[in-house]
Amino acid sequence: MSRTGYRSGRLPSRREFAALTASTVALSAAACRADTGRSGAPDGVLAGDLLVWTSFTQGPRAEWMEHMAQKFEEAHPDVRVTIETFSWPDFYTKWTMGLAAGQVPDISSALPTHVAELLSVEALAPVDDVIDEIGRDRFAEAALAEGQVDGASYSVPLYTHAQVMWYRTDLLEEAGLEVPTTWAELRHAAEVLTTDDVYGLSVPLGSSDMMATRFLNYYVQSAGERLLNDDGSANLTSPAVLDGIAYWVDMYRNTSPEGSINYDVLQQATLYYQGRTAFDFNSGFQIGGVQQTSPDLLEYVAAAPLPRLTAADDLYGGETSNTPMVVWEASSMQEEAKAFLLSLYETEEYIEFLHSVPGGMLPALADISDEPAYVDDPILDQFADTVEVIDEAVPRGSAIGMEDGPTVQASIMTGQGIIEGLFQDIVLNGTPIADAARDAEEQLNSLFEMAGVEFGQ
Amino acid sequence: MTASIAHTRKPRADGPAPRRRTLKGLWSRLAKADKVGLAFVLPSMVAVVGLLIYPVLSSVYYSLTDQSLLRRDHELVWLDNFQTLITNADFWSAFVTSIRWTAGSIVGQLLLGLLLALCLDKVRRFSGLYRVLLIVPWAFPPIVIGFGWQWILDDVYGFLPNLLTSLGITAENVSPLANPDTVFWTVLAINIWFGAPLFMVNILAALKTIPREQYEAALMDGANAWQQFSFITLRHIRNVIGLLVILRIIWVFNNFELLFLLTGGGPGDMTTTLPIFAYRTGWGLHQLGMASAITVLLLVFLLLMARIAFAALNYWEREDS
Repeated sequence: MSRTGYRSGRLPSRREFAALTASTVALSAAACRADTGRSGAPDGVLAGDLLVWTSFTQGPRAEWMEHMAQKFEEAHPDVRVTIETFSWPDFYTKWTMGLAAGQVPDISSALPTHVAELLSVEALAPVDDVIDEIGRDRFAEAALAEGQVDGASYSVPLYTHAQVMWYRTDLLEEAGLEVPTTWAELRHAAEVLTTDDVYGLSVPLGSSDMMATRFLNYYVQSAGERLLNDDGSANLTSPAVLDGIAYWVDMYRNTSPEGSINYDVLQQATLYYQGRTAFDFNSGFQIGGVQQTSPDLLEYVAAAPLPRLTAADDLYGGETSNTPMVVWEASSMQEEAKAFLLSLYETEEYIEFLHSVPGGMLPALADISDEPAYVDDPILDQFADTVEVIDEAVPRGSAIGMEDGPTVQASIMTGQGIIEGLFQDIVLNGTPIADAARDAEEQLNSLFEMAGVEFGQ
Repeated sequence: MTASIAHTRKPRADGPAPRRRTLKGLWSRLAKADKVGLAFVLPSMVAVVGLLIYPVLSSVYYSLTDQSLLRRDHELVWLDNFQTLITNADFWSAFVTSIRWTAGSIVGQLLLGLLLALCLDKVRRFSGLYRVLLIVPWAFPPIVIGFGWQWILDDVYGFLPNLLTSLGITAENVSPLANPDTVFWTVLAINIWFGAPLFMVNILAALKTIPREQYEAALMDGANAWQQFSFITLRHIRNVIGLLVILRIIWVFNNFELLFLLTGGGPGDMTTTLPIFAYRTGWGLHQLGMASAITVLLLVFLLLMARIAFAALNYWEREDS
C-alpha cells in the first residue's frame, strides 16, 4: 500500500503538523459558518437575509411581528426575514455578547437605556431618513431625543407608555378612602388596606431587576430632583433621595410581603394581577395582566398620577418608556432594515400592533391617538380615563437617568442592581441609610468612570 | 482476551522501566502510528479541540485581558484581574458561600441517598415503585424545580407558608427564600432533595453486588449490625461513593441555574456562589476579562479537589486489591 501525501514516507515535521492541524480547524470552522448571503443589494433593489431581534415575547405582539415579516417578504421576494425573539433580560445578554463577538442583527427593538449604551460604543446606524419618511413632527420630541447624539437620530420610537399609580377602586371604597395624591396619603391608605389577604403595596427590591431604582426615582422626581446630578455623577445622598430611601424601606416593612425583597417586575405585577395588592406602580400593561389573570377584578382596576410630596405640587412624569427600533451599524443590510422598519408604521398595521396590548402600548405617533380605528377598541373604551392619565404622563417623563438625553449612566444605574443592593443592605444588615447610600453612590460613580464617563463634561 | 490479560499484567521487576509519557514521546508515538488511523481520529480531535480545549484556552486568555463585552478590542493586563479578585471581599464571600453550598449539599445528599438506598435494599415488596417515586426529583429539569419551589415557598401565594399559617404553626406567612436566617438552609435543603436520588440509585446498585455470604460469615463470627455495615457494606460501596462525591463536587460547585432561579444569588449576596458572582461580573458589569479570571480560579480549585479525591479513590482501590 503506497503512502500518499508525503514523499518517500517522510512524516510532517512538528511545525508542519501544527500548521496542518491549525488549517484543518480553520477550514472546519469556515465550513461550519453558515453561508448567509447577507449582503444587501445596492441600487435600491432589496435582497438578502434580514435578521430581526425583538423582545415581543407575548403571543399577539410576536404574531404581529411574524405577520409583518411575511408581508415584507411578499413585497420584496428577494428578501428573507428571520425573526428571533428574546425576553428583555436575555436580549441584553444577547446583544452585549453579540457585540463582543461581532454577531449582531440588522435591526432590533431596544430599551431607551440600551440605546444609550449602544450609542456609547457606536453600534447603531443613523435613522434620520426613516424618521423623516414617517414624518418627524408625528413623534414626540422627547421620545426622539432619547436616541439622539449631536443632532443625529439613532432610534425610532415604536410605542410608548408611562408609569402611573394603580389602585383597586373596590378596596378604597370599602375602607372609605380617597385615591391618594401624596406619598403620605399613599402610606396611610396602604397601611389601612394591609390585611391577612391583601398587602397595601408590595415594594420589590430584587437585585435581578431595576424595580427599587424605579420606585426610588418616583419619589426623587416628585421632590424635583433626579438620580443623576447635573455633572453626570450619581445622586444617592441628597436629603430628598435619603428621604425617598427611608420612605420605601418603611413601606417594605409595613405594607409589603417579606418575599418582595427578591421580587422582579413580573413577580411584583403578578400580585396585583391576582388581587393580592391594593396599590402598584406600572404602565398600561397592567390592564392586560389583570384581564388574563383575574377577569372578575378588571372592573375595579384604575390608575392615577404618581403621588407627590404635597397635594399642591405639580404633576411630574416619573418614568416614561419610549421603546424604539434600531438599525445596527455593523449590518450590511441597512437599506433592507430601514425599509422593513418603515413598513412597521403603516397606519393599519401599526394600529393592529397597538391593539395587541390595548392601553399597554400607546402610539409613538401623535396623530394615531385620534384615529377612529385606534380608538375603536373595547378595552381602550372601558379604560378611557386610565389611558388618559397615562397619556398625560408620557410627555412629562423620560427613561430613568435620561432626562437630558441618552447617557451611559442610565443603563448602568438600571442594569447593575446597585440601588437594589443598597435597599437590601439596609433591610437585611441594618446598615444606616446614609452609609448604605454613600457606598452605593461611590460604587455607581466608579462604574460610571469605568464606562468612560467624565463628570462635569 | 489474551491481549487484555497481557496488557493488565504488571511488568516484571527486571523488565524495562516504563517509558515516561513526555510530549516528545507522544510525538514519536504519533510518528510511528498508523496514519490511516490518525486520519480517522482527526475529526474527533478537531471536535474536542474546538468544543473543549478552545473554550478553556480562550477563557484563560481572556482572564489575562481587560476584555469588556461592550468593546471588541482589549489589552493584556496579565495577572491584574487575579490580583483584583484575591483582594476583593465579594469574591471571597462568594467563595465561602460556594464551599458551604457544596459541602452541605454533598454531605446531605450522600447521607440521605445512603439512608434511602439501605432502606430500599431491605424492601422486598413494591421496591420498584418506591425507587421510581424516590428518583422523581432527579428527573425534573432545574428550571421546573426552581420555579416550582419558588411558588411553593412564596409568602403570598405559596402553598407551604399558607398551610403553616392555616394550621396555626406560624402566626403569619413565612418567607423562607427571603428571610436571611433561613434562605441558605432552604436552598440547601432543596438541593439535597434534588441530588439525593442520584446517590441512592448508584449506592443501591452497588449494594446489590455484595455477596450475602459475607454477611452470613460475619454473623457467625458474632459481628453486630454496625460492624457488618462498616466492614462489609461500606467497604463494598465506598468506591462508588467516592466517584459520586467527586462528580457531585464538580457539578454542585459549578451549579448555577438552581440557585439563580431560586434566589438570583440574593437576598443581598447571601446565596451568591462563584458561578453567580462570575455571571454578574460578566453580564452585569460587562467585565468579561474579570469573569474569565473567576472561572479560571474556579477551574483550578476544582482540579485540585478532583486530584485529592482521586488520590483517596486510588488509595482505597490499592487497599482493596
